[in-house]
Parts: sequence; C-alpha cells; structure tokens
Amino acid sequence: MSEQINNNPNPAKVDSRKTEINRGIILFNKLGIWVIVVALVILGVIIAMANGSSFFGASNVQSILEAVALQGMVCSGLIYVVYAGNMNDMSIPLTMAMAGMMTVQSINLGFPIALAIGVLSGVCIGLINGFMIGKLKANPIIWTWGFNLLLSGIIRVVWGGKQLYADSVAADTEYAQNAANSFYAISRTYIGGVISLMAIVMLVMFVISWFIHSKTSFGQKLKLVGTSYEAARFSGINCTRVVTMSYVLCSTAAAVGGIFYAALRKTASYENGTGYDFACLTCVLLGGTLLGGGQGSVVGTLGGVLAYGILNNILSWVGLGTYTKYAVQGVVFLAIVWINTYSERKLGKG
Amino acid sequence: MKRKSLAILLSVVMVVAGCLAGCGSSGNETAPAQTEEESKPADSDGGTESEAEAPAESTGGSNLEESLALFDEAVASVMTTDGHPMLAPGVTFEVPAAEGTAEELEALDDSESAKWHYYEHLDWDESQDAQFPASPADGSKGKHVIMIVHGAHAWTTCFSEAFEQACEAVGMTCDIYDPNWDQSTQDGYIDQAINEQPDAIGVIPVSADHAAQQFKKITDAGIPAFCVNTTVNAEAMNYVMAFTGPNDWYQMRTLADSLGEAMNGEGGVAYITHNVGGSPYYARCYGPLTELAEKYPNIKTLDIQSPGFEAAAVKQVVADWITKFGDDLNAIVLADDSDQAIGTVEAIKAAGRDDILVVAAGISKQGAELVESGDLYMMSYQSCQGDAGLAVRTMAEYFNGVDISRVSYIGTDVISKDNVADFTPCQW
Repeated sequence: MSEQINNNPNPAKVDSRKTEINRGIILFNKLGIWVIVVALVILGVIIAMANGSSFFGASNVQSILEAVALQGMVCSGLIYVVYAGNMNDMSIPLTMAMAGMMTVQSINLGFPIALAIGVLSGVCIGLINGFMIGKLKANPIIWTWGFNLLLSGIIRVVWGGKQLYADSVAADTEYAQNAANSFYAISRTYIGGVISLMAIVMLVMFVISWFIHSKTSFGQKLKLVGTSYEAARFSGINCTRVVTMSYVLCSTAAAVGGIFYAALRKTASYENGTGYDFACLTCVLLGGTLLGGGQGSVVGTLGGVLAYGILNNILSWVGLGTYTKYAVQGVVFLAIVWINTYSERKLGKG
Repeated sequence: MKRKSLAILLSVVMVVAGCLAGCGSSGNETAPAQTEEESKPADSDGGTESEAEAPAESTGGSNLEESLALFDEAVASVMTTDGHPMLAPGVTFEVPAAEGTAEELEALDDSESAKWHYYEHLDWDESQDAQFPASPADGSKGKHVIMIVHGAHAWTTCFSEAFEQACEAVGMTCDIYDPNWDQSTQDGYIDQAINEQPDAIGVIPVSADHAAQQFKKITDAGIPAFCVNTTVNAEAMNYVMAFTGPNDWYQMRTLADSLGEAMNGEGGVAYITHNVGGSPYYARCYGPLTELAEKYPNIKTLDIQSPGFEAAAVKQVVADWITKFGDDLNAIVLADDSDQAIGTVEAIKAAGRDDILVVAAGISKQGAELVESGDLYMMSYQSCQGDAGLAVRTMAEYFNGVDISRVSYIGTDVISKDNVADFTPCQW
C-alpha cells in the first residue's frame, strides 16, 4: 500500500469554529420574551410565598394587568410603526392627550359620540403622520417629534393650558352628566367584579392587532415593507399606503389609550400620555421586535408588556427603593434585549 | 408634486387647528375670582399673620396715596375662586436653632426632625446678605414686574392668571415667562428680564440648586428679586429680597397630626412621594414621617415609593402594598391629591378595603371630590391663587415703602369632609 502524498501546496483549512447552537438560544428564539415572562412568574411565586402571600391571587393578577393596560393598548398599535421600520412614533403622548381632550370637550354630544370623536382624532393624527412619512418621506423620528410639539402647542393655545373635567364641561342636563359619568366609569368598571374593563380592552386590542398582523394581506405586505422597503416597492406593493396604515393603527390605539387615561385620572390635559412614547417602545422591543423593522410579533409584544408589569410587581414585593428599582429594571431590560439580539445573530437571523 | 403635497398638508393642519379652536369653548374654564359679597371666611392656621406696617414716609406723593388706596381695595375685594382673600397677609414662623452643623444633621436618622432642619426652615446667615435695592416708596401703581415661573402645568396657568389679576388690582403691570421646566431656558429668561430692567423680578426656580446664581444675578443688577412658591437653600436666600409661598412642612405636619389621632397612635403608614429631590419631596414625605415618629412612636413606616404622578403606576404600587402588607397597612400619605389620590383610591376600592386612611397634599378638583365622597380622609389646603396673591402683595408693599418680611407663607388648613365646601369650587 502506497502512502498517499498530498501535493497540494495550499491544503484546505479545517473550520474548527463551533457550529453547535446552544439549545437555550434556540428555545429563547422560538419562545422569545415568554421565556422571561415564565421566569419572572416563577420568581414572583417564590417571592410572594416568602412574603406569605399568593402571586396568583386575584388582586395581584388584577394589579399587574391594570398597571399595564394603558401601555398595552398603545403597544398593540405601536408595533406596526416599529415593524414597518420607522423606529418609534414620538407623537404618541400628545395623540393620547388630544384624544382625551376631544372626548371630554364633546361630552355634551353623548358618551358614544364623544368616544368616537376621540378615536377619530387619533385616526386624523395617524393619517397626517402617515402622509408625511409614507408619502413625503419625512424622517419618522423628526417628524413625529415635531408634530408632537405642534399638537402640544395647539392644545395649550385652544384650551389655554387648562385641564378639562368631563363633569364641568358637561351641560347641566341629565343626559350630559350621565355621559360624563359613563366616561369616568370606563376606567373603573370591573367585569364580574374581578377583571377590569381596561385590561379586557387591552387584550381585545391585542387580539385584533394579532389578526391584522397575521391574517390579513396588509399584515403580509407590512412584513415585506419592514424587511426590505425597496424589495416591497419593486414587488408592486403600495408602500405609502402600508406605512400610512401603520401610523393610523398606531395613533388609533394611542387614542383609545388616551381616552382611558383621561377617564382614569378624571382629567383631560396636555400632560396626559407623557413618557408613553419610550415606555411603550421599551415593551415593543422587549417583545422581540427589531428597531430596524421586519421582525417581531404581536404575541411577543404582549409578552413584553406583561414582563414590564410583572417585573414592577416583583420589585414592589421585594421592597426596593425607587432608584434601585430603576437600576434593576434597566439591567433586566438591557439583558433581555441583548439575549434577543444574541439569539437572532446566532441563528443567522440578525 | 412635493409642493402640492406640502400645500395640501398645511391646509389639513390649518383646518384641524381651526376645528379645534372652534371646539375650545369655555365650558372648562376655571370660575372667575369671586367678588367680596361671595367670599367665605378666611382660613385658620398656626402661624402669625405678618401685618403690614405703614410706609415710613410718603415720598411718592399722590401716586403713593393712590397706590395705597388701590392696595387696600384689592386686599378687601379680590377673592380666590374658592372665596378667600387673594391678597391675604402672609404668615411667619419662628425658626428654631439648628441642633448641629449641616454635616452633623445629615448623619441623623431619617425619622428625626432635626435631620431636616435646613430643608424645613429658611435658615440662613443674614450677615452674608447682598446689598438689596432700597424701596422707591413711591407706590405700586405704574410699576412693571416680570414673573418667571417654572413650567407649563394647570397649576401654573391658574397661578399666572391670578398673578395678572392681582397685579392689575394694585396698579402694576406684569409679564410672565414660562421656561417649560428647562433650567437653561429659565437662566436665559433671567438674563432677558434683567435686560428689560423691570421694577422687580419674581422667580419660581426650576431647581433649588441653581437658584443662588439666578437671584445673585438679579440682585447684582440692582433689581429686587422675589422668590416665589419653591423654597431655596441658605446661599440663595442671601440674594432674595423676600420669599413667599406655602409652608409645605407645616401643612404636612398638621395633616400628620390629624392622621395620627385618627389612627389612635398605632398602625402602619406607607408614603407616595413627590418627584425625588425637589423641596416638596422632602416636605411631603419627611414632614409627616418625622411628625408621626415623634408624636406617635407606635406608628410604623412600612414603605416609601416614588412612582410619579401617573394614576395607573400609583395604583399598582398601592395594590402591591395591600397584598404585601395586608392588615398592617392602615394609612397612606400622598404628595398629591389628584393622580396619586385617584390611583390610591382605585387600588383600595379594588381590594375591597375600606379601613385604610388616605391623606394628601391638596387641593385639586379631584382631591376635593374624593374628600367629599369620603375616599380621601383629609388633605391640606394650599391655595394656588393665594400663592400668586401673596407674591403680588409683597411686591406692592415693597413699592409702597412698607417693611416686608423676608419670609412669609400663605395660610393653610386641613380639609375634611366636614369643611370641604369652604374650599370649593377648586382653583385649578
């Protein structure tokens, strides 16, 4: 037997890099934020037991759901803007404020009409945002931030910087006062005496959002637009319409959140909704949606919202001070986003 | 094409703005200040009313006489929305001696009053005071003042309107600048105001830490500087002609006394604070905390949280407290009677607890309604319009040549279900 002689002057190098992918990474990539939600729930159960109480007690579950209900409502719409690759809608705070102001201001027309006007104000804001960003290609952050300022100015000028109280705006008639009371009641109603209407509305909005995102042609087009705008355009998709629609959905959801917000604090004011732009973006990103667009899910966003609420709940149980809470929240959120990005990269998706 | 689109967009924005303007009718407006006939009795408080002394000499002639007449008429006739004299005299308090240096006090436990001496009292070294401009003593009539507030808020709107109304009543004119909570913008407005050379400048500092610099600039320019509403540190007081505003510590201590009594001196209390670091944070948390610790040692502090001013966030904190502390939670002290109170009351209702006493710093419309319904046990009375009125009164007295107190506080009261009607309709 003669020995094989390798005459190749440039022998092929063996790629010794690790090709195995950690199972945990695969699991996290598949289940996403829900892994964290389950982990937080387990942690919550342990901490609650240590405190001699029950994490799954009706009052605690109610507390968590109620605390995130308003954010959840807004997130159910914001995901479309982020998914479409437009990063964030900075006009969310004043969209919420405007919806509250419009609803309260028109309370004399009756509760359903006032509600419709409030929601309609959100639709209008979404249309303007969508037109400017989808059609005129304005920078999404700069435009929505500027539009937020414009809305703030309009509200302050029109209503003189004052707060609106539904019962004060309502005329002294039974019909108008009933409308005002109905408005206040929407944030204080408990179905079956246990679960709040706000939490139910949030869950319904997520179901609708999931349906639109997963089961409609708009949802499919949005995926393509978010993944590659140019490819979508060359495929014959009306990208302008898709982007505009994403803003309309976002602003409508923000308007619904704004109406509940105003009803909860019994006041419509230009301050309502302050901070919701970034708080909601945090939840959407926690849910696995990428800032660049094209990846993420409505179910993941719901998980992000719940993780936000459960973490707050646990930190209250532990009894941490405000500053420490912020620090822990920051660390946990950064860790989640890092794991998200890491798992995407490992699986060649990022 | 783009031009056409822009034109369409501008038209849409203008139409929307126009529609909104049409919607903005006056249904929401704060009720105008009342006339004397509608007024209610003045509130009571624990301090000493600082009575204005007559001007030393009438160097201003007829303008001074007219100003004094206007002043008397304004004090008697201009009322707040809830029926109290808007230009009521201020209240002064004795400042006790500090029980050590600032460093020594800082080392004390949070529950000891002495620790907070320099937070609670405007206690400064008067020998370090700047050279303040002497009063012209020629009358407030025709004087122009600039008021620089801290930022846009419904409270600020109410304050500004009352300030303008009070100025007009004493014959002064005013400009009000709003930096929208931005420190550098407020600094810019200070410079602008100095350049305009008004007869006086009033400031609600955005930050107490920055105030010394601001007031020094104004005083160095030879313009009398008045600090309004927000207390500042000892260094800043050396450059402040006069401070007027609420005595948050006293108000909250009084409220805590009533709470401790209602709790029969026993139980657990949790605190929701104001924004961390500001003067209301210390006053509305450590005022009642130290008061209860001193007078009712069997009342325990369970927790202190700062979830901000969003009802939903406060609701979660309180709901978590109820689950965590159970029956040990007997009372909650709030820094705010609107959003914080709503969130707290909603959480308590949802948990089916009716034994938790809630007290808050007031007074807003939401808070008054909660007191009326019995959901809020008590709250303090802090008049926004009275705050503006006292500032204008002090400025007018200065122009009229009257000796003014360096520190004067607005009157206060504890509001309960029994007397809430005396403090409504609310000012903002």
